[in-house]
Amino acid sequence: MDLKLPDIDYAALAPILVLFGASLVGVLVEAFIPRKRRHLTQLVLGLLALTGALVAVVLNAQDRVVTAGGAVAVDGPTLFLQGAIVVLAGMALMLIGERSVQRGGAFVAHAAVTVGSPEDQRQAADEGGATEVYPLTLFAVSGMLLFVAANDLLTMFIALEAFSLPLYLLCALARRRRLLSQESALKYFLLGSYASAFFLFGMALVYGFTVGAGGTGSGGGVDFGTIRTAVTDSAASEVLLFAGLALLSIGLLFKIAAAPFHVWTPDVYQGAPTPITGFMAACTKVAAFGGLLRVLHVAFSGASWDFTPVLGAIAVLTMLVGAILAVTQTDIKRLLAYSSVANAGYLLVGALVLSKDGLSSTMFYLVAYGFTVLAAFGVVTLVRDADGEATHLSRWAGLGRRSPLYAGLFTFLLLAFAGIPLTSGFTSKFAVFGAALDAGQSWLVIAGVLTSMILAFPYLRVVVMMWLSEPGESTPTVSLPGGLTAAALMIGVVATLVLGVAPAPLLDLANGAAEFVR
Amino acid sequence: MLMLLALHLVAAALAPALVHRWGRWAFLPLAVAPASAFGWALGYADTVREGRAVVEAYPWVPELGIELALRVTTLSWLLVLLVGGIGALVLVYCVRYFDADEPGLGRFAAVFVGFAGAMLGVVLADDLLLLYVCWELTSVFSYLLIAHHPEQQASRRSANQALLVTTLGGLVMLVGFVMLGQHAGTYRWSEIAARPPPPGGYLGIAVVLILVGALSKSAIFPTSFWLPAAMAAPTPVSAYLHAAAMVKAGVYLVALLAPVYAEVGPWRPVIYVTGIVTVLAGGWAALRQVDLKLLLAYGTVSQLGLLVVLVGAGTPDAALAGVAMLVGHALFKAALFLVVGIVDRRAGTRDLTVLSGLWRRMPLVCATAVLAAASMAGVTPLLGFVAKEAILGAFRGDPPLLAALLLGAVLTTAYSARFVRGAFAGRPPPREATPTRPVETVLLAPAALLAVAGLVLGVLAGPVGETLAGYPRLFGSIAHPLTFVPASGLVLGLSALAQVGGLLLFALRTPVGAVQARLRAPFDGDTAYQVLSRGFDRFAVALTGATQRGSLPQYLGVILFALVLVLGGALLRGPWPDRIGVSGNPLQAVVGVVLGVAAVLTVRARSRLTAVILAGVTGYCTAVLFVLHGAPDLALAQFLAETVTIVIFVLVLRRLPARFSVRPLRRSRWTRLALGVAVGAVVTAMAVAATGARRAPPVSAEFPGPALSFGYGRNVVNVTLVDIRAWDTMGEIAVLVVAATGVASLIFQRRRGPDRPRRDDLPPPPGAERVWLRAGPTLRTRRRSIVFEVVVRLIFHTVVLFSIFLLFSGHNAPGGGFVGGLVAGLALAVRYLAGGRHELDQAAPVDAGMLLGVGLFVSVGTGLLAMSTGGEVLRSSLLEPELPLVGELHLVTSIFFDIGVYLVVVGLVLDILRSLGAEVDRQIEVEDEPGTGLRTDRPAGPARQAAAGAGAPDAPGGTDSESAGTDSESAGTDSGVAGTEGRR
Repeated sequence: MDLKLPDIDYAALAPILVLFGASLVGVLVEAFIPRKRRHLTQLVLGLLALTGALVAVVLNAQDRVVTAGGAVAVDGPTLFLQGAIVVLAGMALMLIGERSVQRGGAFVAHAAVTVGSPEDQRQAADEGGATEVYPLTLFAVSGMLLFVAANDLLTMFIALEAFSLPLYLLCALARRRRLLSQESALKYFLLGSYASAFFLFGMALVYGFTVGAGGTGSGGGVDFGTIRTAVTDSAASEVLLFAGLALLSIGLLFKIAAAPFHVWTPDVYQGAPTPITGFMAACTKVAAFGGLLRVLHVAFSGASWDFTPVLGAIAVLTMLVGAILAVTQTDIKRLLAYSSVANAGYLLVGALVLSKDGLSSTMFYLVAYGFTVLAAFGVVTLVRDADGEATHLSRWAGLGRRSPLYAGLFTFLLLAFAGIPLTSGFTSKFAVFGAALDAGQSWLVIAGVLTSMILAFPYLRVVVMMWLSEPGESTPTVSLPGGLTAAALMIGVVATLVLGVAPAPLLDLANGAAEFVR
Repeated sequence: MLMLLALHLVAAALAPALVHRWGRWAFLPLAVAPASAFGWALGYADTVREGRAVVEAYPWVPELGIELALRVTTLSWLLVLLVGGIGALVLVYCVRYFDADEPGLGRFAAVFVGFAGAMLGVVLADDLLLLYVCWELTSVFSYLLIAHHPEQQASRRSANQALLVTTLGGLVMLVGFVMLGQHAGTYRWSEIAARPPPPGGYLGIAVVLILVGALSKSAIFPTSFWLPAAMAAPTPVSAYLHAAAMVKAGVYLVALLAPVYAEVGPWRPVIYVTGIVTVLAGGWAALRQVDLKLLLAYGTVSQLGLLVVLVGAGTPDAALAGVAMLVGHALFKAALFLVVGIVDRRAGTRDLTVLSGLWRRMPLVCATAVLAAASMAGVTPLLGFVAKEAILGAFRGDPPLLAALLLGAVLTTAYSARFVRGAFAGRPPPREATPTRPVETVLLAPAALLAVAGLVLGVLAGPVGETLAGYPRLFGSIAHPLTFVPASGLVLGLSALAQVGGLLLFALRTPVGAVQARLRAPFDGDTAYQVLSRGFDRFAVALTGATQRGSLPQYLGVILFALVLVLGGALLRGPWPDRIGVSGNPLQAVVGVVLGVAAVLTVRARSRLTAVILAGVTGYCTAVLFVLHGAPDLALAQFLAETVTIVIFVLVLRRLPARFSVRPLRRSRWTRLALGVAVGAVVTAMAVAATGARRAPPVSAEFPGPALSFGYGRNVVNVTLVDIRAWDTMGEIAVLVVAATGVASLIFQRRRGPDRPRRDDLPPPPGAERVWLRAGPTLRTRRRSIVFEVVVRLIFHTVVLFSIFLLFSGHNAPGGGFVGGLVAGLALAVRYLAGGRHELDQAAPVDAGMLLGVGLFVSVGTGLLAMSTGGEVLRSSLLEPELPLVGELHLVTSIFFDIGVYLVVVGLVLDILRSLGAEVDRQIEVEDEPGTGLRTDRPAGPARQAAAGAGAPDAPGGTDSESAGTDSESAGTDSGVAGTEGRR
């Protein structure tokens, strides 16, 4: 028995390989470069790697191949989403690398130090943050790139873990409010492990289902092509298919924070270091939806009549929960967390439309939302007082007077979240809802518009608070951002505006990319 | 047209700079923007009179079908005139209205011009989506304008209210637009109107949704409440937004749609009911006001209702009356608001119970007001009269509606009179005339111009009607052209009746007021708004409290609940296996019962230790099930793993409270119980379904043959581990190594500096003094059990030997590297439990990391070796070397792989014992010693040297009692005594 190595198209895998290699180099940097120089080295390495990956994605732009023994599909959606992830990760990395807003950056210097001990206070006050965050982030990004390209469930699972594990760790690394941060990481990890277990279980059941395809006894598989065939002609018990799909979906829905699997979101978003929260809100969402889109469009499209009502109900529930719970939030990060939940619902509406329009509008939405949410968290990192970020909403009262520029930018971003015209939020919602209407899912659209109305309420409340309240004693100051945060913020805001005013190029790109290789 | 919009945009962008430079005079250049729109419209008057449309279209987002399509017809032309003309006049008025040092004037100017641009966009847009975009922009701008005085709470609240009501209405409207657009395949209104409308119900829903948006924007019942509240805005804003522009957007939309959809089922009922209620309720409320501005606001509400009824009625005459009223209302209401602003600024109040004698002090203002109010009341020959007469003529055939409108006219006359008298009339002595400041021309001119325009256009009623005829002709031919000469006696009579009735009502204001004070509206939009918004807030709080407590068990519960629903639902769909296999062995049932009982008891246990042990029992029972099923290898591994797990648990539990925290409340306990049972049932069902669905023979059925022929072993389980699935095992031991490292790195706190983490916990080099029972000098007497220690010490080597036997015999009999490693690890664990950490160090004088590393190296090395000798990675081969004395040896290379596994498992157990056991012991000891924290846990350098100098053995624990007090580890009297005892 010879071990047959599959053909591997290294060029097609280049974006993943570049980032993976860079993260390994990052680990070496941790080991061999003096502590003082690590931050700069890692940051430059990370940005270079992301640039390299982006270049590779662009060079691959015309690729439509399945490679690595059918495990990886490099096609339009893959490349579009990979590009999106890389660009958004670049913005996130700028936020992560910022050290001028807070001495030492947003990350703890020594994660294992007992919380509240004198040493902890010392490290919080003036030590440089852990530079391990850079390789961890790069690992996560390379996992995400693989996740959107995975063409079988096993590769998908590995990619899922590859980007989840670093995230669990990153969540625990906040410099301040360490207990909150650690608690969030623990919750995320434990619940995430459950979700992963569900995913695996589902994969096993689906495998069992595919075994029956094309007559008894033929071998099964977990690659999407086999599943696709099996869904139409497997003689195996359908209970395996439905139970398997249900469990797989739970695993994926957990990552995209759809209700009722969203429960971790607010706690984790609040506890994690804000740049990481932004990274999760933007990149994880893109990656998780990328995976979900491929699973639904490629593998299980034959069963769409069976899963659309269930996932549709989940989408409605997600929108409702996100919108209603956002109303009462008093913490800006939690508010954005619920907004992210609601947006997952809108995205799910698009993901359920198994047409070219549905695919391209969902991908557009992902990109637009990613830019906006990263910029929003970028602003959150700037509003601080002596104890770090002032995330309680009451503290934001009168911010418009203190710092009209940043309050103005944040207002703009909130209006984008609310889907007000001339922002990307409007364009993307319009695209998704339009696709859903074309596909006859008007009930989802009605739920979407209703919840948008509800969701506008909390956003507007923040706007009112910032502009129409008098600044009080406790109104924090807005730190001047360093070059990195300013750059990330500007990219986000400009993208939000451009995608609202002139979205045509990106829409064209998404349309051109909206076809999976099967 | 695009240039007009761009001009507004540029003006808005420049406004702050201009205001910064020229102060309030900057309003004059800014007025050029709306004025140019006015001028542009005048230039197209001929085109419009001929009934042609002006069209411009630019693609914007072609992918989504959004384009910048602009189109001007009669209706929109009229509104461009109003929006532009009144906008320019109000901007001029602003020059004197604001004080020179008014704060935030730059922002105000920018937003105001921006609003004018957005409003222009609403009326110019042909594309419904563009219309929606501008529509929402006007809401946002109006929000900012209303909240011009953000420091006042009323200002904030009303701005908020206006924004919420109008944007929410706008969103509903968008749904309607999208429904229409999707059906027609285009969002160009001109094209949608030309195509056949969609069928009944669909169209009905779309139309009602659009009407919701339009009516909420125009403050029609039941959303009227936001408009009076919005009067917190500066008066120019009220004059422009709330008389001429923004509130007309809703009327405009109704008028735009009416020619196409007036015949749709729900259209007329909605329009008539809401419109008439608004007319009457607004007029009635206006009679009650003492604030001039509020009086006008309620009057506006009333007249907006009237306008909606007119343009929504869908007949040519009503439409003609509607456009005439639209112009008339804009002119007189804007003038009146401006007058109120003058009164407010120059007399210092707008309370009509306070004002007195202003007609003497500002006669020109008074004349303007009277002219405008007369138009409002419908006095001939003003435009208001022309409109009113047209209205009465248009509804002549519909007596109930006519009566309602007539009643509205009566109320209008009454509150017009109330306004004029309240603002300007003198009061009987001893009240003196209100002191005033002089009124500048710039302040008065706009209002006067508007009022005079009402007169001029009234006289020119004929030409005006002809110019505007393009719109009503969409409904049919006009029966009654506009004229200020009463056309028929009936209409004239009705008109006179309304005047007289109104004056009568005004004359009887005292008794009417008494009635009003007693009469309360059964339904109040504002209250409803508050109840709704508060109720919603409360609901959201309750929901958040119920679902997001931050409790991990609860979160998990939610996820599991969803699992039960989703997975259970999927399972219920079936099909189910035909038969479910039942084991024939009754002993399995017995074990199952024990297992179940243990599980229940585990859940009920209050002490952590009990729970752990009971959970262990379930594990042992599973092992017994394996035995009964004929799987001794599995059972052995399960037994050992269970035991090691319990030991680890116990080590960890030392640092946790003995009992679980407070038990959950009874109710949540039952919920959890039910959830647990449900999850169990679903998972069981899934297991049954999965096993029952098997159609192919299991792959393991083919294992025994190859296991012997390729793997040279009869224990299929072991051969599977080390050969068939050796890659899996390789991965697993790698994971074990990582896990062990992780545990160690969590427990051994990070230290900086050259100190390597675990160096100091290595056992001492074999020194002068070797003690048989290490516990003697190191453990407290209370903790010792000599018998246990001695027995353990005696059997230890035997057990280790046995583990090695298991390792080697595993290839053909139960056993193997994993089992052997666990046995050896347990031997170490027992040594540790009996004699403490120093005993452990003595039993295993190696670094755990070393074991792990060597183990992994051996395993990987075996695989690589096989490859380097030309075989496949991890392939087994049989070696049968002749050894002297021993004879021929039957040796399969996979045994080396298994040795690696053995070493890794031993290393893992040792690592856990070292970290969770020994290191935690040390930390506990350090904590027990007062005055030292975790950071100072290492004995200080000098102290250690002193200890060494005193001839103490160089043990980490400092076994000598002399060193007590300096060495943290043997500090305290107890250990000191223990030390002495150990010596004896």
